[in-house]
Amino acid sequence: MRIESAPDSSPNDDLAFLRLVHLADSALPIGALAHSFGLESLVCAEILKPSDLPRFFEEYIQEGGMVDASACRSAFRSLDPLRGHFKISTWLEVNDFLSALKPAREIRGGSAALGRNFLSAVISTGDYPVLVEAREAAQRAGTLVHHAAAFGLVSALLGVGEDRGTLAYLHEVAASFVSACQRLLPLGQTEATQILWNLKPAIIETACKSRNLAMGDASCFMPLLDWGAMEHPFLATRLFIS
Amino acid sequence: MPAISKSTHREILLAGAGQNHAQAWLKLKFEHDSESGRTVLRENLYEPPLQVVRAFSHDDGTAMVHLHNVSGGLVGGDQLTFHVDVGRFANAQVTTTGATRVYRTRTELPGASQHNKIVVEEGGLLELLPDEIIPFSGAKFLQETFITLADGAGLFWWEILAPGREARDEIFQYDLVQMKTRVMAGLRPIAAENICLSPAKHKVTSLARLGPYRYYASFYICRVGVDLQSWRNLESHLLEVTHSLTRPGEMLWGMSTLVANGLAVRCIGSNGREILPGLQQIWSRAKTFLYGRKAILPRKVN
Repeated sequence: MRIESAPDSSPNDDLAFLRLVHLADSALPIGALAHSFGLESLVCAEILKPSDLPRFFEEYIQEGGMVDASACRSAFRSLDPLRGHFKISTWLEVNDFLSALKPAREIRGGSAALGRNFLSAVISTGDYPVLVEAREAAQRAGTLVHHAAAFGLVSALLGVGEDRGTLAYLHEVAASFVSACQRLLPLGQTEATQILWNLKPAIIETACKSRNLAMGDASCFMPLLDWGAMEHPFLATRLFIS
Repeated sequence: MPAISKSTHREILLAGAGQNHAQAWLKLKFEHDSESGRTVLRENLYEPPLQVVRAFSHDDGTAMVHLHNVSGGLVGGDQLTFHVDVGRFANAQVTTTGATRVYRTRTELPGASQHNKIVVEEGGLLELLPDEIIPFSGAKFLQETFITLADGAGLFWWEILAPGREARDEIFQYDLVQMKTRVMAGLRPIAAENICLSPAKHKVTSLARLGPYRYYASFYICRVGVDLQSWRNLESHLLEVTHSLTRPGEMLWGMSTLVANGLAVRCIGSNGREILPGLQQIWSRAKTFLYGRKAILPRKVN
């Protein structure tokens, strides 16, 4: 049976859209649910409370989200799928720079674990020599592959569009954070849904602002969260890896 | 009268001279003298108000200099360039004579900017230990620091950002503080920061940023070629210090290994008094661990 595409799109668009939805699902088994990226420490230190979350996430998207969005776009631009040209040096630079921007080992390691698992998950779904090349080049260079960069590269390869890929990535990050808080704090399903729903304008604004922003110009100042991630290994009881 | 009383000494002097900003530079080159085994300040070129008067020699052969800004602070439109080259196996210590004061920037002027370019060659060591940066109400300050470390090169570098003139209750009243930092081990970045604080646009005291704290300090401890396990060992060694310094609600200290060749320390505090002594404690332990030598405080704090 042939499924009709939506009136405003081609079958290829539909397929790309569905793949994007799949890859941006926080339930994609790459380990996103195992990381809090420093939130667990802030909750344990009674710094972060449920009432703080809407504002906190909005500001996180403006700071950390901006850096990741610009990295996602830079990795996207490292591949020209029409010409089959992949700039490996750009791909490695983006990932190395992200590693340098993440001073807390657990945040850096968590981002790299998700990036590695994400790339492997996509590679397992088809024949993608560019992704294999990207993974091997990173291994050879001793470069960590970060989630934002991997998501950008995969978005370019699958033809989902740079803006859509960036939006989907940011949304996945926000969803994972909200999910982590549901396990850390007395945060119900309805409230969590509302928080994520209300974050969408901030996600769109950040994705738009990142469009013409060189990765080196994206600013980020989150010392409290960095402290949380730096102190996380020393918590007596931990729900999360980071 | 009120207009004059609000002006800074520097602003009054510059207005009198018909100028509105300074273009200053300072270039320092340190070299290891193989005969004496000490480090010498081989080049000291400057355009005031930046200035180094002379180098002092520490007992361990390190050359120490005080970085003066003889104008007393930075005003809008100032463009300062600071180049330091630490030669092979040279040991240099650079400190300031006091806090870097960034005065209110007149609306028609761009912010004060400082560009720091630092190279530490093979086996060299730079200890860059400035006093705090204090951005006054209405100040705009942009700083770029680019540090390249060769094989075996080391770095101890801290920076402290104050919220403003606390004694005048001038807290987060500056217009803009932008600080861009890159630390490279050869061609590879090992640490990068790009901070852009504009309190009127984005609340600095939000939980995603400083939370209830006011001061921010970063400290990079690097030595190229030291393996990751040794950095983990140093981190464990320093934990006792950072945990003893931490007092929730007043001051938080954290620390982590960088992606390679170093360690990053972060401090956020409600007041600035205890930050410098904390950084000095960490520096002292880390230097003994990495170099087997004592950290020698710059003379001004002896």
